[in-house]
Amino acid sequence: MNHPARHLACAAAALALLLPAADLSAAEFRLGSQIAMSGALARVGMATNEGVNVAVEMFNRVHQGRHTASLITVDDESNPAKAVAAIEQMAPQVQAFSGGYGSNIIGPASETAERAGKVYMTSGGVASELVKRGLTNFFRINNGEGYSRALVGMLNDLDIKSVAILHSTKDATQEVAHQVEEGLVANGTKVSFHAFDPAISDFKPILHKVKVLDKPDAIVMVGYENDYVGILRAARVMQPGIKLIAGVWSLATGKMANDFPELMQNVVGTSTLPYPVAFTDPEAQEFAKVYRDLYKKSPDYLGVFGYVQTRLLLDAMLRAEEAGALDQPGAVAAELRKSLNDTLIGPVRFDETGDNPEFTHRMGQHQGKQVVLVWPEKAATGPVKFPATPWTTPRVASE
Amino acid sequence: MFELVLQSLYAGLLAGGYYALIALGLTLIFGTMKVINLAHGEMVLLAAYIAYTAESVYGMNPVIAIPFAVLVVVLTSVAVYGLVSRIRQDRELNSLILTFGIGIVLTNFVLMVWSADIRSTNVPWFNEPVVIAGTLYSTSAQVLFFLSGVALTAALWWWLNRSWYGRSLRAVASNRNAAMLMGVNPRTTEVISFVIAGLLAGIAGIAIYTVTVIHPDLGHHLTIKAFVITVLAGLGSIPGVLLGAMLIGVAEYLTITLASSALQELTGMVLFLLVLFIRPSGLFGSRGRVG
Repeated sequence: MNHPARHLACAAAALALLLPAADLSAAEFRLGSQIAMSGALARVGMATNEGVNVAVEMFNRVHQGRHTASLITVDDESNPAKAVAAIEQMAPQVQAFSGGYGSNIIGPASETAERAGKVYMTSGGVASELVKRGLTNFFRINNGEGYSRALVGMLNDLDIKSVAILHSTKDATQEVAHQVEEGLVANGTKVSFHAFDPAISDFKPILHKVKVLDKPDAIVMVGYENDYVGILRAARVMQPGIKLIAGVWSLATGKMANDFPELMQNVVGTSTLPYPVAFTDPEAQEFAKVYRDLYKKSPDYLGVFGYVQTRLLLDAMLRAEEAGALDQPGAVAAELRKSLNDTLIGPVRFDETGDNPEFTHRMGQHQGKQVVLVWPEKAATGPVKFPATPWTTPRVASE
Repeated sequence: MFELVLQSLYAGLLAGGYYALIALGLTLIFGTMKVINLAHGEMVLLAAYIAYTAESVYGMNPVIAIPFAVLVVVLTSVAVYGLVSRIRQDRELNSLILTFGIGIVLTNFVLMVWSADIRSTNVPWFNEPVVIAGTLYSTSAQVLFFLSGVALTAALWWWLNRSWYGRSLRAVASNRNAAMLMGVNPRTTEVISFVIAGLLAGIAGIAIYTVTVIHPDLGHHLTIKAFVITVLAGLGSIPGVLLGAMLIGVAEYLTITLASSALQELTGMVLFLLVLFIRPSGLFGSRGRVG
């Protein structure tokens, strides 16, 4: 055999030996995602779903040629019954679930996943009932306490003496509102309470009561984007003599800064990221790059949550696979509970209930066309403007 | 407390004005064809999104967008008529299923084109406060569309009673065969009723966009609101729609002030059920009445 032929034969033999080995170590990680892509929760569901997709894409880029992650997404139409049907439909085909939005939807969906013996990971439900059910396969990276702790911490630091809380009657918002109330009352703050139906469109009668009867130092909103816009509009008309308006999720975001620049001035809300987003560590920068590649826009906080939950899940599945236990019952759940993870939303550690006791949010304030992180001090990117409301400063929309 | 109640009455009346705008189109179509158009709210929403596009993309005032919105919604409305008119059996029941399906298609169309984000006007004038005597608060948009609601109700009522086409519409609703013998073309009158319903839905959409916040899921809620007002008023009663809408508005706002806003929607439904129980034909309805 001449030299080239001998080399070719050796290469072929080596390849023949290597190929089966490569096949043996390759694994496919099959994820299911039941999430609201239409219906009342479509906005939040779609944004979270983008983060889930980015995590899968990043996993495939990192493990290219070895492992692959695949994702099946089913739209639950913001409907609990359809969410259960989606989980039942996907369960035979996938190894775990990442998704869900809304505590009332996540509840039955995760119970269905539990019956199928599959891990259900989410960031879309903060009602405490979710972690009190004794499910072994349910995990979430955020919780209501993390939101209320941040809100109460900032209001107490600003020495606010009285607060009117306006909250939606949905499960999670109601619960967070009561947690905020407890935190404030414990510090001696006077609190008045106003529940509102999610279908309400005119908040002026409530704001009128706040202005005439409560006369608080600050208004706290616990709701969703459409509620915030309605409350802030009513507040601009009624102009109650307050020092600050603050709220929770979906408020201190780049989207609200862009869409409602006049309404949002000086408003404070829980905020994962400043806006414009400034990522510093390599993982975050890579996340932002892939996000922009896929969606041609900057990531928002829901995308970050979707990414983090899916990343943690895929990492745990990878460790379970390396231990040869991926398809064994409880293996992925055990891996998830093993370690403290440093993530884009801060430390994540899962306790026995599947909750993340490490979760604490930051507070951001709309200042001009930016969202500046103002609390806690160690995470702040600028000082808080106080006292300040949307109607006590010049407009910026036409600047 | 007196100040709070006064504000509730004022805000409730204003809300009734634009609630009536939403319900007028639904009432008209039921009055003429005995068809409950369950896609009516989605058509209102479509107009709202056209106003949003006109403002955000072309920098137009939403009021200037009314002709475009009306044109699109009228064409959609006529297309809906084209489908409904093909139903040969059990039109009342089958049109419910058909228009419900059209509503789902329209919702998903809105979702695909404009995404699930919430939208609302950023034109400052609409959100400017209008304060009367230092105690009654509203925005310019609420006053404008309250007046529009009252004016359009009056205009529609006048048209149905005084114009030839209006009377032919009522004739078809009353007895289709007799109307034909009198030289009325029932298909033309039905198309006209859908065109006017589309026109009203178009204006209602602009009102919704400027007064409140829109999102793709809103159409379904608007249909329910319009349906409740239509039944409360008495199916087919145009003046009843305005009064029924104002009654609902005032009841809702008084509930917010005297009890809790969490009960607002419940109050509307309780009122609706009470009226159905006591007066099944509605507050202003009578058997076979139109306009």
